[in-house]
Amino acid sequence: MQTTTSTTPSSSPDETLACYHCGEEVPDGVNYSVAIRGNQQPMCCPGCRAVAQLIAGSGLESFYQHRTAYNERPNLSELESSHHYSLYDDPEVNRGFTQQDEHGTFHSRLLIGGISCAACTWLIEQTLNRIEGIEAAVVNLGQSRLDVSFNPEKVTLGKIFERVDELGYKTRPYQTHALREQIQAESKAGLRQLAVAGLGMMQVGMFAIALHAGDLQGMELEYQSLLRWVSLFVASFVVFYSARSFFSSAWRHLKAGALVMDLPVSMAIGIAWIASLWATATGDGQVYFDSVVMFTFFLLLGRFLERRARQNDSQAWFDAESALPTAVTVQRNQQWVEVARHQLSPGDTVLVTQGETVPVDALVVKGDSSIDESTFNGEHLPRSVKPGDTVYAGTVNIEGPLEVTALGTYVDTRLAALQRSVEFAQTEKPPMARLADRIASRFIALVLLVTAATATAWLFVDPSRALWISLSVLVISCPCALALATPAALTGAASGLRRAGVIVRGENAIEALSHCTHMLFDKTGTLTKGEFQLTETHLLSTASQSEVLGLAASLQAFSSHPLAAAFTRLETKITFEQALYHVGAGLEGQMKGHSYRIGSHAFCSETCPELPPAPSEPHYWIALCRDDQPLAWFGLKDSVREEAAAVVRAATAGRLKVELLTGDSSTQGPALAKELNIATVNVGFSPQQKMAYVQQLQRQGAVVAMVGDGLNDAPVLGIADVSFAVAGATELARTQADFILAGVDLGAVIRTWTTARQCTHIIRQNLGWALCYNLCGIPLAALGYIPPWMAAIGMSASSLLVVLNSLRLNRAQ
Amino acid sequence: MPSLYILIPIALVFCVVAIKLLLWAINNGQYDDLDKEAWRILSDSDEKSEGKVEDE
Repeated sequence: MQTTTSTTPSSSPDETLACYHCGEEVPDGVNYSVAIRGNQQPMCCPGCRAVAQLIAGSGLESFYQHRTAYNERPNLSELESSHHYSLYDDPEVNRGFTQQDEHGTFHSRLLIGGISCAACTWLIEQTLNRIEGIEAAVVNLGQSRLDVSFNPEKVTLGKIFERVDELGYKTRPYQTHALREQIQAESKAGLRQLAVAGLGMMQVGMFAIALHAGDLQGMELEYQSLLRWVSLFVASFVVFYSARSFFSSAWRHLKAGALVMDLPVSMAIGIAWIASLWATATGDGQVYFDSVVMFTFFLLLGRFLERRARQNDSQAWFDAESALPTAVTVQRNQQWVEVARHQLSPGDTVLVTQGETVPVDALVVKGDSSIDESTFNGEHLPRSVKPGDTVYAGTVNIEGPLEVTALGTYVDTRLAALQRSVEFAQTEKPPMARLADRIASRFIALVLLVTAATATAWLFVDPSRALWISLSVLVISCPCALALATPAALTGAASGLRRAGVIVRGENAIEALSHCTHMLFDKTGTLTKGEFQLTETHLLSTASQSEVLGLAASLQAFSSHPLAAAFTRLETKITFEQALYHVGAGLEGQMKGHSYRIGSHAFCSETCPELPPAPSEPHYWIALCRDDQPLAWFGLKDSVREEAAAVVRAATAGRLKVELLTGDSSTQGPALAKELNIATVNVGFSPQQKMAYVQQLQRQGAVVAMVGDGLNDAPVLGIADVSFAVAGATELARTQADFILAGVDLGAVIRTWTTARQCTHIIRQNLGWALCYNLCGIPLAALGYIPPWMAAIGMSASSLLVVLNSLRLNRAQ
Repeated sequence: MPSLYILIPIALVFCVVAIKLLLWAINNGQYDDLDKEAWRILSDSDEKSEGKVEDE
């Protein structure tokens, strides 16, 4: 029954295990596991374990069999801080997304983050529907939306938020969003047109078979006329209802001076319809109603599939503000009270405890701590703050509690400015001329020329046939396969990539990626793992390596600093009697009458003046001393992802210009570039500078691909021609990226690039075939050899070939 | 052959009814989420039958 092979973590400690819940590697020495259907399954972190236990405990284990993608890794600190959801019980707060009907039932609409497949919707629905008081819970996968109806006397909204949160998904109130509404309306309109065209096609096709049979076997004129009039009636309905969007789009572009694919399409539909109308009314000539309707249906189907492949709006709801906490602790009348964040006003004193996100740009009034700003500026090390310093919304307080005074509201924050840059980037992104549209403009000119020439020639040969033969040229050149060539290939590539763990979001992402010239990488979290690892130990005394490492590990266990995390993975049996944390400096611990210090050079040399200066390699160095005796220097480094070098090599081999673009201003950037053989390095760039740099490259004619992860990368991901968000990227970066990598393997970037080029290749093949078919058909039609039924068969066969060719992309993955 | 004068209008009436039904379903939001429904039809029956066995 299990779809994943089950291995117990304790039995095979040497192999790298994938977490059963989120699919990430289980670190060495970690031993979390949960019994699922009687098998112990490995878990990578307490967060995953908590969620998996909950799922298993509710008897919903079959979720794991049915899901098609791993879950997102839940954040335990977020799971634990769910108490603030009770805020949503306040009618003032929930008014925007909750309505009460006449029976007293509440109907709420929520957005859910982290839904990866249909099984997630099942899990959420099953869990909620079991709670007493919930009448209905329905999750919409495409829109990541939860509609829940509940009895407010039996269950509260806060409880519903909490419950979904416990399953490892992020919840927030649904807000109407103009773009999202528009996409939904367009999608519905497309479906309606498709439905009408499909049913119309069946009817007209039925009559057309009778008519074609009549042509061959002979048929009374009365019945032929009847069938033609009925076909006209149905086809007209399809043309005016379903094909309207082609006409309006062609006309809109024509007014702007652009020749797009819709123009030959509208011409073919329009002219074939008018000609058939004329033939029906006069009882003379051919009718092409079946071709008209079939053509409309195939094209609408292509458009519909293309829209599904191109638009994936499930992430579009996320903006920078969603990174901020919903509830904040504020001082009101000498007391700390919890209020909703949007009720903050400038001058309020806010308490930001350890591990919390700063809710607003503010001035520190009390407390010492350090602030992790890595998603903002790519700097590894947190910045120490003391009273008088400014802290920014969206950064994380990591060391101690801080009391801060709000400097303004959300709109005044640096985070809001970043959001505005992101919005600017969206409007400034360079447009992509689609290959099909470029071919279309030349194709139309050719078809019109040939038709004019045919008409003129036949006027001299046999004027009575001139009209009908020119029309059959136009109908045979009807670019059905040409119009299906791109959507079919894109859909194939997108579904292939999806199964390989890459989600395609951007509209023109695949085409743009296939001819990109530059590939820019962010450093922290993208080329590197974004976490420190111990790489070197310099011993300064007779103490052995294992001894100093053990001391360091047990001392660092008292710290939540990012540098300390490198030590906490080490196994240790030493326990300190007490340890004191010095913010921004290091730790001091007592054991068996000795005093130990670990931390910066300045901090350790206070008690140990003999400490030599740190070695010169570009690492972060931490010293360890016992009383006045130096013990060791530890060199730490943000380790490079193993596959990074191969990715850079493959990109360079593919004649891409690889560059490093980082906000970090330390020497780590150039050192990394040297290690990976990256020629161009740009360090210390602000988000706005990164954006300007990419724009400058684009002005020089470059097509830029950007790979990033942080908040600070969001604007540059938005403006680059094509962009990737790596696994673990911030939500804001994901919303801006054209491709989202689900797995931790950076090699997916190169695989996506290869697929994109294959896809463009297939599009070219498809277009080539379609053009070839049309160009061969035109001369035959021009000579008067093609009856309508042959044109209809040729068109369907040609379209089928294009679709089958595109399916190869799906299989190749 | 004169029966065509009755049969074709009947076919058209059926066609109009079918279109009306489809448009109603689309406007009613039943086609909003194509991925989920495709998956659910396979999984739900599975779950229900298992549930029943436990109940008995």
